[in-house]
Amino acid sequence: MNKFFGNKVAIFLFSFPALALFTAFVIYPIFPEIIISFQKNNGFKSMGYVGIANYLKVFQDPTFWHSNLNTIIMVVVSTCVGLPISLLLALVMDRQGDSVRRFFKASSVFPAVLSVTVIAQMWVAIYEPMWGLVNSILRGIGLDSLALAWLSDERTVVLAITVAFLWQYLGLNALLFYTGIKAIPKTYYEAATIDGAGFLRTSLKITIPLLQDVTKYLLVLSVLGCMSQFAHVRIMTSGGPGDASRTVIYQLFYKAFSASDFGQGCAIAIIFVLECLVLTFFINRFVAREKIEF
Amino acid sequence: MKKNKSKTLVNAAMILIGISFLFPMYWMINLSFKSKSEVYDNPFGLPKQWVFNNYGDALEKFSFLKYLSNSLIYSLSTIVVTVFLGSMFAYCLSRMNWKYKGFALSYIAMGLVVPAQVVIIPILIMIRNMGLKGSYLSLILPYSAFALSSCVLMLFAFFRSLPKELEEAACMDGCNIYRTFFSIIVPVVKPAIATQCVLIFMNTYNEFFLAFILAADDKIRPLTVGLLNFFVSIGVNHWGQIGAAMIITSLPTIVVYMFGNEQIENALTAGAVLK
Repeated sequence: MNKFFGNKVAIFLFSFPALALFTAFVIYPIFPEIIISFQKNNGFKSMGYVGIANYLKVFQDPTFWHSNLNTIIMVVVSTCVGLPISLLLALVMDRQGDSVRRFFKASSVFPAVLSVTVIAQMWVAIYEPMWGLVNSILRGIGLDSLALAWLSDERTVVLAITVAFLWQYLGLNALLFYTGIKAIPKTYYEAATIDGAGFLRTSLKITIPLLQDVTKYLLVLSVLGCMSQFAHVRIMTSGGPGDASRTVIYQLFYKAFSASDFGQGCAIAIIFVLECLVLTFFINRFVAREKIEF
Repeated sequence: MKKNKSKTLVNAAMILIGISFLFPMYWMINLSFKSKSEVYDNPFGLPKQWVFNNYGDALEKFSFLKYLSNSLIYSLSTIVVTVFLGSMFAYCLSRMNWKYKGFALSYIAMGLVVPAQVVIIPILIMIRNMGLKGSYLSLILPYSAFALSSCVLMLFAFFRSLPKELEEAACMDGCNIYRTFFSIIVPVVKPAIATQCVLIFMNTYNEFFLAFILAADDKIRPLTVGLLNFFVSIGVNHWGQIGAAMIITSLPTIVVYMFGNEQIENALTAGAVLK
């Protein structure tokens, strides 16, 4: 048996292709990225090293800070508003009858399986100032003054985009929470039922604490997903009006591909990686530190 | 009595929220049958005058079949490459004896925290230097590389739960490791592989960012990017045609979803309970 599992040739053949592909496209590119971030580079050739000039330019650029602020707003809203709503939906779904639950499960995942282009364009229609869904409802209940041009107003555009992708993944996240709830053994609830604990108490004292692993998984997924937000912004507003709705990744895209400054683009990418690492570190440090085994 | 009442209320609320996830799609179908001017006058009611040529016009300007076949080429090739390489590597990590396998496992897990957006610039330069620009491989390779991490980690967990007796019996019978893997082990983990296939298909078929930047040539663009270009070219005033194009592009997904929503739900949630 040892010979069977210790076959060196087989180990090489089984592991090398995957490791090579993964290294070439996921890990290795970080090194040229660091190098380019210290160069003046137009995407085709380097025009020499410039030290930390790219980083200084990035930090002195108000648009970069603005795009960071937008990204943080998106992350905070979708984790602090979106995830609790999903959790609540999952808790309620758990107590529903079979037919209601099946309908809810099927419809809630639906937005997540459609392509972002379709969803984002649909939200452009929903926010349409003249006949869009939002403004029609607002006018219908007599709030004409609130019927804004959501996507071309600097004050509302970031939240409007956030709501669009929050809605797209709300149902999927609820389903993920629900899968976690299903995995909790029924025995945990027996004592609570005998004591006559209601929905609120059972949820707060049993379900939510035992869900911590799923919560952590969703937190990381949602934070990283919102951090690298690009598609919805590109389709709904192209970063506009002006540069009001740019995210960090949009700013990276703009610098590298519209302004042909690959040096600054790479500098933004490196800063972005550090931001993501810090966030993941904090989530790992403070959420679900001890693993629960059922 | 009070309990029943509140239960009905909660039920109604859940159904209402469920409908709100479907309503925009209904609305788009509705818009797609309206003329250019009726969209403005009557955005929500059923069309007074059913206009069917939105679909014909959209199909004429929007080469749906080309983009669809591109999307399918990307998704299916990514599935084949990722599942083939990923399952072999996961097996090697979970069963075979070698010194650095603990390190290799953490190494591949790093892929979970590196978003593709971050390394797009070096990848673009690499693709150009390798002479792959404008070919299907320019997207298939990065897609597969980024799909590998979650595929390997999930299959790793499955392989580890299999009893060692499987290989012992095969070894007795004189099977070598390659045959054992492909004709005994792989069939056993078929459900997990099927889940991975659904998951990779969903992610690749709907992927936007890499395709938007790497597929500069219209010939190789997938649906997501092709559709955006169609929207841009048509402008914002012809919502009937925009709606029609949305329905046409979503139709394959909707059909697949109707028949396989249980499997899709299971695949999408597999990651949450399996870590």
